[in-house]
Amino acid sequence: MESAIKLEHIYRSFKTHFWQKRKLVLEDINLEVFQGEVFGFLGPNGAGKTTTIKLITGLLKPDSGKISIFGMPRDSLKAKQLIGYLPESPYFYDHLTGYEFLKVHALLGNCKDYEKKVYEQLEKVGLKSAANLQLRKYSRGMLQRIGIAQALITDPELIILDEPLTGLDPIGRKEIKDLILEQKQQGKTIFFSSHILPDAEVICDRIGIIINGKILKVGELKQLLKKGIKTDEISLEDWFVKQVKEKDA
Amino acid sequence: MHRIRAIVENTFKESLRQRILNLLIIFAILLIVVSIFLEPFAIGESPKILRDFGLAVSSIFGVLIVIIIGSSLIHKDIEKRTIYTVIAKPVKRGEIIVGKFLGLFFLIAVLETGMTIIHQIIIFIYEGAFDPHLLIALPFSLLEVMVLLGILLLFSSFSSSTMASIMGIIFFIIGHGSPDLKLFADQSKVVLLKYIAYVFYYILPNLENFNLRIELVYKLPVHHDQILFSLCYGLIYTILLLYVATIIFEKREFK
Repeated sequence: MESAIKLEHIYRSFKTHFWQKRKLVLEDINLEVFQGEVFGFLGPNGAGKTTTIKLITGLLKPDSGKISIFGMPRDSLKAKQLIGYLPESPYFYDHLTGYEFLKVHALLGNCKDYEKKVYEQLEKVGLKSAANLQLRKYSRGMLQRIGIAQALITDPELIILDEPLTGLDPIGRKEIKDLILEQKQQGKTIFFSSHILPDAEVICDRIGIIINGKILKVGELKQLLKKGIKTDEISLEDWFVKQVKEKDA
Repeated sequence: MHRIRAIVENTFKESLRQRILNLLIIFAILLIVVSIFLEPFAIGESPKILRDFGLAVSSIFGVLIVIIIGSSLIHKDIEKRTIYTVIAKPVKRGEIIVGKFLGLFFLIAVLETGMTIIHQIIIFIYEGAFDPHLLIALPFSLLEVMVLLGILLLFSSFSSSTMASIMGIIFFIIGHGSPDLKLFADQSKVVLLKYIAYVFYYILPNLENFNLRIELVYKLPVHHDQILFSLCYGLIYTILLLYVATIIFEKREFK
């Protein structure tokens, strides 16, 4: 299978203050996401999920290592043209309306028929009636949906969603999960991060688990969860504790 | 081009909706109040005061907006994480800088044009005729805004908005003190100081190139070569500032 995302030997460190030593937050990350699959990138808070996503989307640069998107360097405009990205807890321009916000992103994404695309997306995420409402008046769920709409507006081949289900009520989560599955049916590749295991189980083909900046495991979820642990009975954090303890023993 | 257009429109609308154009009302009130209250003390100088005050206030309002909004133009986007979705799209960093620059510049141009119209109307009310000679102040004031906005964007491409506004104010003061710096360099007897002063004089922006208040208030002629020089100076200086801002912004990460 062809890869949509390929990370090879990625290292990344941060300095919180200039007098402090750099702290390694990602260590030798090797990960391959295949075209057409839904890949769940799972890990507890602070594991390095968002940092990895920021490296893929070009918001951060790796200290060393190589990142490619559909075989192209991740910084190239051609690669970026194929990506749709929803950041974690997104904040958008307060004073813009939903329509204006999507129009900006459609133009930035080189959409030719932006007017049509904007209304298509507004319809798809159920915000057509809120098209002329300023984003500061949107609820948390509506913001998440308009965020997804901006990620999908260019009809990207690769959709990267950072914690798309966090902070949503059950209905909101169901809607987002349905949207992800719909994209999968259209042959798109979806890479999303989460720390909630049951959600991942429903939609993922494969998962990658990251803990303390290192990839612990990659594979099919059911294969990884051995010993009869049911995902709806245990949180990922608990499972991690068990995994880490097992690893240390 | 459409990508820059998107950022220009976005910046323009976001800034516009912060009710900046309300400054036009404040400007009109200020002008009317000053002309009414100063007239008894002006002893025949009131036309000059009305002109000088109008030009000064419209220029100060433009500069204030550049410093207040210009300094947070990029930083606010980073702080509020609104820039994330923009950076992830197939956009060059330079397009973001140019788009932000043009978006705010157009808004200030609208504001300053509005203030110029109000100024002319008030002059007409008091004197029964417009003063078209004053109109030339508008493009010069906008050239100053351009250079200052370039400075603000340059500093906000790598530092905080507070630092960018402080630098904006410093450059504004130094920029208007530029002729004094030249005078100091000309007259200094210490060779090292003389050269240092010359270096600063040529590197730092000379905002006095855009100050025509004396010529306009006293109805002195403004030469074509002076206009051409100021125009070229403003444009080249701004392009260089935006170029450096782009180089720095290309290296910027978003943690």
